[in-house]
Parts: sequence; structure tokens; C-alpha cells
Amino acid sequence: MTPQADVGIFLVSVCAGILGSLAGVGGGILVIPALTTIFGVDVHLAVGASIVSVIATSSGAAAAYVRDRMTDMRVGMFLELATTTGAVCGAVVAAFVAPGFLFFLLGLVLLLSAGMQFARLDEEEPPPDAPSRLALALRLASSYPDRKLGREVPYSARRVPLGFAMMWVAGAVSGLLGIGSGVLKVLAMDVAMRLPIKVSSATSNFMIGVTAAASAGIYLSRGDVDPRIAAPVALGVLLGALTGARLLHRISNRGIRLVFLPVLVAIGLEMLGRGLGLPV
Amino acid sequence: MSPERFRVMVSAVLLVGVSISAALIGVGFLAALAVGWQGSLIGAAVPGGTSAPPTDFGDLPARLASLEPLAVTQLGLLTLLATPVLRVAASVVGFALEDDRLYAGITLAVLGVLLASIFLLH
Repeated sequence: MTPQADVGIFLVSVCAGILGSLAGVGGGILVIPALTTIFGVDVHLAVGASIVSVIATSSGAAAAYVRDRMTDMRVGMFLELATTTGAVCGAVVAAFVAPGFLFFLLGLVLLLSAGMQFARLDEEEPPPDAPSRLALALRLASSYPDRKLGREVPYSARRVPLGFAMMWVAGAVSGLLGIGSGVLKVLAMDVAMRLPIKVSSATSNFMIGVTAAASAGIYLSRGDVDPRIAAPVALGVLLGALTGARLLHRISNRGIRLVFLPVLVAIGLEMLGRGLGLPV
Repeated sequence: MSPERFRVMVSAVLLVGVSISAALIGVGFLAALAVGWQGSLIGAAVPGGTSAPPTDFGDLPARLASLEPLAVTQLGLLTLLATPVLRVAASVVGFALEDDRLYAGITLAVLGVLLASIFLLH
């Protein structure tokens, strides 16, 4: 890499870190195409760098989100049980599955859920409801400080089995396809479990690092993590994630949805394109 | 352990992991601009080490001993990749100290699956 390319990769990575920390995703949707198309990096090394980017976004932003009570650690740990076992199953069956149809199906699901997200753009907090017995037994009810609203917002998880199942699928998808694990996690918490969008995003951020770490060994042993590319990515993403974690408090829930929605549509279209065999 | 201290501890684990890895990656990256990725900061490149492909993590200790920028960066990346695992391990301890057996168990199971997937799936 030339020094100019290093600076370019660093700047793209700062953007990916900000976007990822706000939307609860790893930023692969930005890092991978930028590396391959602008900087001519081999796609395997780009995916290896994106694993580094996911972990950097997650650890950098979660350090702040955990301290500020934006991340729900119980929700996160409970659901990581689903994502890690899902990821192992996905990785094991990956060799026997033709991913085309799966990509197409997931693309459709993501685009449909984008429509649902659009419909509830103005929802600042989920409508109140009595917590389910399962949510209470698992202590999946808490509150977070919303500095934009200027008060503590209580919440409790609903439809816990559905959320757990969606998280298992999110884990399996990341084990199988290596992408889109952040958006599916945010959707499982926001759409299925009806957690506030900021909590969903911050908790997804907390979780994606663990999902990525589970597959990091594979990428390392394949030689896909090239330090010459991963170094500017990691440094840029960390700076971006720390910046984004400060921004979250100043943005309304509507604002977070406005950041998340285009990411959702972009990943949905990418999966649909891959499912149809288009060169994306 | 109070929930507040638990959060501070987990947050600190993440922050320390991220800071150490950023420092190592930053130093390695800047050093590479000065002496090249496979040079040596103390002028003693490992014999044969210079021909290693930049994606090889095998002979890391020997290359670290000669302060090779590539090796320092690789150590930083490994630290970064290990940070989420350490965070889960710290959470097991935190839930146990909070006397939350259910979540100490759940987190321990996650740690087990995580370690198994890192070391068994290749």
C-alpha cells in the first residue's frame, strides 16, 4: 500500500466506525466494497480486514455503551448463547449448502423489514406493555438513560423465544455467509423483542465482537488477515467507533433509525444481488 | 459486586484491550513507514524471517524479539481479536460475584462455545 492508500483506507474506516457504532453493525458493508473497488485489495483480505473492523467497532463502542448503561448486558449475554451456537452450526453446514437461495431469501426479509422500520420511524420509544413471565424470569427488563429525551426510559423484552430464534439465525447467517450479522441482531431486538432502538443498537454492538471473534480463528489460519491492510482499518475504525459512541447520546431515536435504515436497505440489496448471481 | 462496578469492570476490560492493541498497531504501522514492514527497529532482522508472507502468524515470538514492525502490528491485531473473548471471561466473573448464578452459567456456556469455535473450527 502507498502512504496515500493507507490514509484513504484510514479515512474510510473512520466513517465505517462511526456508522457501525451508531447503527449497531460492524461496518463491513462499507469496508469490504471500499477496499476491493477503490484500493484493489483481494476480496479474501478485504473480508479478513472487515472481521478486524467488526471487532474494533464492537470493542471500541461497547466500552462506552456498557459504562453508560446503553448496552443491556443480560440481554446481550442471553442472546449470545443463540448467536454463538448458530454461528458454529452455520460454519459446519457451510460446506454443504448452496448459499444462492439463502442470500435471496435473506435479502427479501431485510428489504421487507426495511419497510417496517420506515413505518415506525417516528417511534421514540416502544409502547408500554406488561413484561412477559419469561422476560421477568430471565431479568430481561431494565431502563436506559436517554439524554436526548432527558429521562430514564424503562423497557422489557417481549417475544423472547422469537428473539432468541432470530438471533440463532443471525449467528448461523454470519457463520454461513460472513455478512449481515449486525443488522439481523438489531432487527431481532427491535422488531421481535421490541427493545428501544438505542438499546438494540448498543447491545448489537456489544454482541457482534463475540460473533466475529468466534470466526477470527478461521480467517487467521487461512492467512486472510493481512496486517498491512488491517492496521489502518483497525486504527480508523477504533477512532470512528469512539466518536460514534459519543454521538449516540445527542441523536434522537428517529435519527438512529435514519442511520440504520440505509444500512439495512444496502445489505438487503447486496444479499438479493448475490442471491440472483449478480456481481456485487 | 454491584451492577455499577460490574459495568465499570467490563467497560475497563474493553478499553484496556482496545488501548493496548491500538498502541501496538499504531507503533507497528508508524515503524513500518520508517524501516519497512519486515525491517527491524534494532537493525537485526530475523534470518529468513524477512521472506515470511505478511499473513503468517507462525514465527511471531522470534520476529517480535527483533522488533519487526509487522510482528508488532500482528501482536496488536491478536490483542484486538482476543478482546471480546476476554470481555466474555470477565462477564463470567462479574455475574458470579453478583451472585447471579443463572447468568454466570449462561456466560460460561457462551465462553465454552466461543473457545471451541476458535480452536476447533478450521
